This record gives sequence, C-alpha cells and structure tokens, in this order.
Amino acid sequence: MTDTAVRVTGLTKKFGAFTAIDDMSFTVERNKIYGLLGRNGAGKTTLMQLLSGQQFATSGSLEVFGASPVENARVLQSLCFIKESQKYPDSFRPEHVLASAPWFFANWDAALADRLVDDFRLPLMRPIKKLSRGQLSAIGVIVGLASRAPLTFFDEPYLGLDAVARQIFYDRLLEDYVEHPRTIILSTHLIDEVSNLLEHVLVIDEGRILMDQDAELLRGSASTVVGKKTDVDAFVAGRDIISRDGIGGLASVTVAGLSEAERAAARAAGLELSPVSLQQLIVQRTTSITQEPEIKTDAWSARA
Amino acid sequence: MTATDFVTDTATSVHPRSAPERIWNVVRLHLVDRRTYIGIPWLIVGMAFVVTIFVAQIVGFTTGGLGTPDAIEGQRYSWAVLSPQWYLVIVGVQAISFGFPLALGFGVTRRDFYLGTALLFVLISAANALAFAVLTQIEQLTNGWWIDTYMFNALWLGLDGFWVDLFSFFVMQLLVFFIGASIATIYMRWRMPGMLVFWSSLALAVVGTVTIITFTNSWPDVGLWYGAQGIAGIFAWLLLPAAIAGFGGFLALRRATPKS
Repeated sequence: MTDTAVRVTGLTKKFGAFTAIDDMSFTVERNKIYGLLGRNGAGKTTLMQLLSGQQFATSGSLEVFGASPVENARVLQSLCFIKESQKYPDSFRPEHVLASAPWFFANWDAALADRLVDDFRLPLMRPIKKLSRGQLSAIGVIVGLASRAPLTFFDEPYLGLDAVARQIFYDRLLEDYVEHPRTIILSTHLIDEVSNLLEHVLVIDEGRILMDQDAELLRGSASTVVGKKTDVDAFVAGRDIISRDGIGGLASVTVAGLSEAERAAARAAGLELSPVSLQQLIVQRTTSITQEPEIKTDAWSARA
Repeated sequence: MTATDFVTDTATSVHPRSAPERIWNVVRLHLVDRRTYIGIPWLIVGMAFVVTIFVAQIVGFTTGGLGTPDAIEGQRYSWAVLSPQWYLVIVGVQAISFGFPLALGFGVTRRDFYLGTALLFVLISAANALAFAVLTQIEQLTNGWWIDTYMFNALWLGLDGFWVDLFSFFVMQLLVFFIGASIATIYMRWRMPGMLVFWSSLALAVVGTVTIITFTNSWPDVGLWYGAQGIAGIFAWLLLPAAIAGFGGFLALRRATPKS
C-alpha cells in the first residue's frame, strides 16, 4: 500500500457531452518511470491535470499519496506539472521562472538547474514570448527535473526540442532518477525513443485504459509470425491476434504471449518469428480498436 | 495502512511548508519580476510628471502667471496623478490570467494562490497610498516643487489632509486591483459565457439604477447624500465594491481551472 503513489478508481471526466476520461481505474507505484502513451486527444493531458488537482473529476475517486490532490497543499507540494502548453506572465524571462521555482519545490537542486540551462542553451534573459518552441519546452524540462518532486509529470516535454536536446533530456532524467528515485509520469508520442526509459506503460485511448503493463513484460509480450498464409493461419488459430497483414500467399500476424515451447513449434513449422517494438505494439493495439467500429461507434461519432 | 502512513512517508521526501510560508511565496512569485508592480508604474508617474511640468507652464501662461490661486486651482483638474491606474488594472487582470496557471503548475492550491494575491494587492496598495500621500504633502510644502507645478494635489488629493489622502488612495488602489482580478477570475471560471453574463448584468444594473433614480425624481437627494459623505465617506463606501470583488473572486477561483 505505501508503495502506491496514485490510485484511480472509476475516474470519469466530462466536458459537456464529451467524455474525456471514461471510467478509468489504475494505480501508479512509487519510484518508477511510467509512460503515459496514447494518440492525440486520447486524454493524456486531462488525466495529468486531474492527477495534479488542476481539473475537477466528474465522478470516481482519485488519490495521490493517499489523498485527493484537489486543493490539498500537502499533496500538491509533492507534485510538479509543467504542462506542454504552460502559460507564463507576459513580461517573464526564463530567469524569473528559475528564480521562483525553488520557493515551491522543497527539493529544488539549483546546481542541476544551472547545468541543464547550459545543456539546453536556454537564454535566461530573453523574454519568454520570444523563445522558440524548443526553448519553451526546455524551461518545462528544467523545472521538472530540478524540482525533484516526488511525483513529476512530463507532458510531451520534447515538443520542438532537437534530437540532441531530447537525448540530453533522456540522459539527465535517467541519471538523476537513479540518484534520486521518484515517481515520473511521462506522456509522449515518441515511444521508441523513451522505450528503454520506461518501467511501466499506461496506454490510453478515448479516455480508457487500453494497456497497463510492465514495460519489460510488454516488450516480450508479442511476436510477429511471418510465413506462408496457410501455415501462419494454422499456427495462430485460436490465439490473441493483435494485427494481421499480408501480401499474396504470405501473411504476417502479430500475436500476444508465446511461450518458449510455442516459439519452437512455430520455428518447426517453418515460420519466422520477430520481436515487436513497443511502438509497433502500441500502434497496432490502438489502431486495431479503430478497425472494430462496432465497439466504439458512439465514441467516434461523438468525436467527429 | 492508514492515511497517516502516507503523511509521514511524504514528509521524508518533501519538507511541507506552513500556510503563511506558502502564501508569502505567492506574493514573491508576483514580485519576482519587479518591473510589473514597481518599475513600470513609477516610470509612468515620472513621465506624467514631465508632462505635468509642460502643462503647468501652459496653465500659467493662460491664467496670467503660475502660483496664482487660479493656476493652482486649474491644475486640480489634471488626472496625471492617476496615470498608472490604467496600467495597474491590467496588472490586476494579469495577476490572475497569467499568475493562476503558473502557480498551479508550481503545485500551489487555489486557496493559497488567492490569499497570496490578495495580500500582495493590500501591500502594494498600502505602499502606493503612503508614497502618494507623502508626495502630496511634499508638493504642498515645496509650493509645487519650487516651480509651482502641482501634480499630486489634484482631484480629491491634498484637500482634507494627509490621513484622508492615505485612506482614499489605499481604497482606490485596492479597488483597481480587485476589479481587474475579479474580471479575470470570472473569465477563468466561466470563460466567454461568464463574460457575457457579467457585462450585460452590470450594464443592466447601471441603467436600472439610473432609471429608478430618475423616475422617482431622486437626483437632488442623491446629490445631497453624496455631498454629505465627504471625501473620506465616499471612499469608505468604495470599500464595499472592493470587498465584494475580493470575496467574490475568492469563491469563483476555488472552482476555476486553467485553460489547457
């Protein structure tokens, strides 16, 4: 129980007729890095706003460090959530953000912040209004890392950051996390880039939890079977098929959960087995939903 | 496993700050950029003073010499002393529209944010009231800065003495901040529909009041009442809208959400 940072039960958030979060339940364990993955509009930002007390839930219960985060100073002092779309006062320069952040984050590490400013080449004296998209993201990343909040949210922190800056972010995040373990929830589209960083994966789609799994288990949880269509069909019959593809007499089918014996059987049947990357797996899982309109007709028509 | 386990657990990783500390940190957040509340308003006052020197010369030329009672009286109509107020009402708006989303990102509760912001308004209003009341006195003592130029002895200031100046300026400043902040808070809470309802009901209330006074032939009574209040009395009444804006803003902000 004390290992739980977040406990969400039956959480629902509606904006008028639109259901952004639909009866969600999950827990987040302490001192792990979570990936919050999903397509645009899946509800990632809304979920993080609910967890950080910025939005009010329509129904369901939500506990962060054992209590509702809404207007709870004790809980909120342990959180850091700089949104991707964070607004700053018009006249502010990055120096003002970095000067005031330590007043709100008890674990603030000024040396780390200074180092990150150099890493990201953030111009401290330039008005925030005149910063590039990447420099704006860098402010959020610096505050998020240097705050060392027990529960830190990163909402698509890489927007506008170049490949070098993104790699710096991943490296610094991992370095600092190893020295100062804390709970990190990272929402991202670039799944393969962060794949090795994540310890647990939460995939959401249309406000529902689609996957809630250990990243290590997930990476090994599916395989693609390639071979002659008839052989492949015979092998995958009755299995949990994630996706199917084929040209002419060849078929390529991604299936869940193959044991070692089953793998051997597949190879014996002349089929090729290949691992599935986290990103491929999630893309297939989330698109397969859209190919079964009978399940989600209402949600789709509501969205359109 | 009870809730107290979590409390002690969290305390080891973050030293919780007391409520006064958290509220004071919100005041500091608003003041981290000193230009907003101190630099720019006084820059405006400085520029207004330069303009006032020129205007005084013009008034002196047309009334036949500066320093005459006519010239001093003529300069009373200048609004230069209130020149930073137009800027400060915008500052009141931005204290909420920019300050609120940032404070929430920093893990501040709505309650602490509002109390800190209100405390900031009270402190800045007190400081400005003291500064303007003292400047009004100095201006009198130096006969208009030795050049017969009166900027601070204008409108109602400098008529009823130091304490009335201090009180009236404090109330006026507080009202300016809270009007700006409460309009921004209505927008933060109810967005565009809130703005439409607010402005149309305000307009209806104003024309309704004027209609009632006119139809009951009460304008002479209103005039008498107004005259009987005196400067201090009028500003004491203005504490009422300031308090309504202040408390109303608090209630509205408790359920407000920043734009995502």
